[in-house]
Amino acid sequence: MKRVLTALALTAALSVAVPAFAADGAEVGKPAPAFTLKDEAGKEHSLAQYQGKIIVLEWTNPGCPFVQRHYKANTMQNTLKALDAKKVVWLAVDSTASNTAEQSTAWKKEKAFTYPVLQDTDGKVGKAYGAKTTPHMYVIDAKGVLQYAGAIDDDPRGKNATPVNHVKTTVDALLSGKPVPAATTEPYGCSVKYKS
Amino acid sequence: MKGSRSARWGVLLWALVASAVVWAEPQATATGTGAPDEGNPRLEATLLVDASQVKPGDTFRVGVRFQLDPDWYIYWKNPGDSGLSTEVSWDAPGVTVGELRWPFPSTFRTPDGFIVTHGYKGEVLLFAEAHASEQATGSLTLSAAVDALVCAHRCIPAEILLSRSLPVGMATVRDAEATALFDAAQAQVPRPPESSGHTVALALDAQTLKTGQPFSGTFTISASDGKSISAVEPDFFVPERIRGITRMGLALEAPGRFQLKGDAAPNAPKEQPRFKGVLRLGTAQTGYQALEVDLPLAPVEVVPVAPKAPPKMAPFTPPVVAAQVQAVAPAVAEPGVSLGLAMLFAFLGGALLNLMPCVFPVLALKAYGFTRMAQEDRKHVGVHALAYTGGIVGTMLLLAGVVLGVRAGGHSVGWGFQFQEPLFVAAVCAVLVAFALNLFGVFHVGTDGTALSTQVDASSGVARSVGEGVLAVVLATPCSAPMMGTAVGFAFAAGPGTVLAIFTALGLGLALPFCALVMVPGLAKRLPKPGVWMERAKQLLGFALLGTAVWLVWVMGGLAGVDGMARLLAFLVSVAMGAWLYGLAQAAVGTRRLLGIGAALVVLATTGGFALRFDGAAPTARASSVSSAQPWDDAAVAAALKAGQPVFIDFTADWCLTCKFNERTVLTREEVRAAFSRHQVAFFVADWTRRDARISTKLGEHGRAGVPMYLVISPSAPERPEVLPELLTPDLVIQAVQRAAGPGADAT
Repeated sequence: MKRVLTALALTAALSVAVPAFAADGAEVGKPAPAFTLKDEAGKEHSLAQYQGKIIVLEWTNPGCPFVQRHYKANTMQNTLKALDAKKVVWLAVDSTASNTAEQSTAWKKEKAFTYPVLQDTDGKVGKAYGAKTTPHMYVIDAKGVLQYAGAIDDDPRGKNATPVNHVKTTVDALLSGKPVPAATTEPYGCSVKYKS
Repeated sequence: MKGSRSARWGVLLWALVASAVVWAEPQATATGTGAPDEGNPRLEATLLVDASQVKPGDTFRVGVRFQLDPDWYIYWKNPGDSGLSTEVSWDAPGVTVGELRWPFPSTFRTPDGFIVTHGYKGEVLLFAEAHASEQATGSLTLSAAVDALVCAHRCIPAEILLSRSLPVGMATVRDAEATALFDAAQAQVPRPPESSGHTVALALDAQTLKTGQPFSGTFTISASDGKSISAVEPDFFVPERIRGITRMGLALEAPGRFQLKGDAAPNAPKEQPRFKGVLRLGTAQTGYQALEVDLPLAPVEVVPVAPKAPPKMAPFTPPVVAAQVQAVAPAVAEPGVSLGLAMLFAFLGGALLNLMPCVFPVLALKAYGFTRMAQEDRKHVGVHALAYTGGIVGTMLLLAGVVLGVRAGGHSVGWGFQFQEPLFVAAVCAVLVAFALNLFGVFHVGTDGTALSTQVDASSGVARSVGEGVLAVVLATPCSAPMMGTAVGFAFAAGPGTVLAIFTALGLGLALPFCALVMVPGLAKRLPKPGVWMERAKQLLGFALLGTAVWLVWVMGGLAGVDGMARLLAFLVSVAMGAWLYGLAQAAVGTRRLLGIGAALVVLATTGGFALRFDGAAPTARASSVSSAQPWDDAAVAAALKAGQPVFIDFTADWCLTCKFNERTVLTREEVRAAFSRHQVAFFVADWTRRDARISTKLGEHGRAGVPMYLVISPSAPERPEVLPELLTPDLVIQAVQRAAGPGADAT
């Protein structure tokens, strides 16, 4: 009897439940992490509602000099304009802990762009995607699979007059059925100012 | 006279215009400021040369000294997860300037370690070798364009233009003050291993790297003077950005040997990736030696990613693939521990475990059994000692196997991890209660029935000895003995062979008392003669086991709340009933016997099925026995340190008896409490009763695999906490706190 119980104890010891592994980011080629966030106007946006379209996620922070440089040059707006609005959705995400919806609204008005700024102040979606810099770009295809994660272009210092725009090349490749030239690139920018 | 007055006005006007022209033209000087933050520049840059005059054809050094406001930093050539590397562009006609040299960088992490960057705080001199051409004459103009990103809580770009002149002359005249600055910076620049008499080698575990998958290997480094390389500080290894690699980290395994772990990027690079980065050996006390390494890794094999149809419920995707090289926080084993030393520690720790309250009842039980056996059946003593040792070592190896298996699955465990699992606690409780009932005589195992039986059945007795060995290990795990912590911590961070060796040594130490009984002739003879007292002693030990079961019920409370405790107690009642039925069955024969056994099993199974359901609902955290204790939180610790308070962090768990012992006998004592309030110590408790990855990681950072662990952090040295030993004394704690609080005191 005791032997059976001892054996039970040992078996129980072997069944160590798996501790939750902190996810470090989204993986290209795998389904993109789901999310539901409110934008600066309070409207909800989720990954599921845009299935069937290509989704571009842009991690942003108006206080970061890299983002400021791009918005001065209208990089993001110009990239979006060159893409088919019926097939592509552009969502900006702000994971800065100190950001508020009012600040996003004011910035959106000042820079005069049309895409929503999703509020991710607790940083959960940012960490699920592994967003480390602003800007940090992700492109998700119509089936919900992540196809690109990285920098917006190959010019961190803004010295090149005509840099390669990775978002544009990725979306163009997806829409024409060609393979994506670079699935990941090193993102550049200020660090995302998460809550922790 | 009118003429001369107008002439004077004319000269004055000229002078004004000339100076205006001069002033209007931007003059680059040797010093400049940048990164204005609400009017305050956060960066001051100065162009320095180590000579005040240079001879044509000679070499000298030119550099930019960056001085930053506190908390602000600039980036290394590989900035890390974010930021921008500092760029210095030279413009010096008549001078050939070499590559920029970078002193060994610091590593900065966000509190949760999500974003890791490399750079410099305070002051740094980035410099280069320069060579004046043979044809240089007059004066050389050296200019530098600095492009840096200066960050703290926000980032501010800095673009500064610096310029100075360097006269050419018959001889090169060194500037003593500047030379000292350059020499100090040069000492911190990592050098190739050969130039400092080191030999390095890298051996990967596999022949190729696979895209998107982790890789591992062993990196060895030896000094020509034979000195052992065993002292490193956290973040001693900073990798460069390597195409095809997303993460790379080193962890010290043994003197001169490091374990390399990394992840290959999902895209195969054009060229074979290399193991490239900088290492800083030594500590602040022993002195630093910075080396740069550049070794080939392995070709990258493209592993096709199986296309998946996206599931209906979007899952939490598995980790990896930040497309940057990130220095992984290594579990640095305590410096100076070699495998042999760790095994010795494990052996001694195992022996000391016998004295710990967890194991003592089993030890006493075994002693009782042995005493009787020594009198009645001397021959078998040796066999039983061997069986007991076998049971212990076997279970230890099994435990080691479980640890390796769980680690291979990519998760981390610590010593005592089983006690974070409610089902395990319930099972051990059941075993203890059943064992106690056996001692009371409710049922018997084998033919070892009545107390005064003269015959000891060899076979069943041996199995019982093995079982007692297993039980000893099971109960030993929540206890930590001195020296055991270091050994186990060393094992947990090391390779499979080391884990098995250390656990075996631990097992042998635990079994030591009985091996001694057998090995030492005459010792067995000294044991007291049998008598009625043995029966009473046996029953008393039953109560000791029940006491241990009570403690486990309390642990269950911490894991599953009051409900869990009640359900466990209900199960234990059914165990008792099962034992009673079994006892009755043993007295009967034939069908009645079978019926009795069957009934016992049914009772157990049904009650067990209903009672032992633990859905992992977290109960409210148990308040620490130490009042004014706050739950451990990195942000709160940082805030306390900033406010100038010393910090004491108590890593504990309900199932850890050593922890509770320390808390009740030392941390709650009058004089210790007084010392805490006198020095305004901020007391934090990190409760590891239930699984917590943050705590496991923190334990690993200090080379420990389990609790207890005590950290004392001084506000004057927040990066170097003092780790106290597992068994505390009031003096130890008071002195540590005094050291941490002392003005300008070094916490280590």
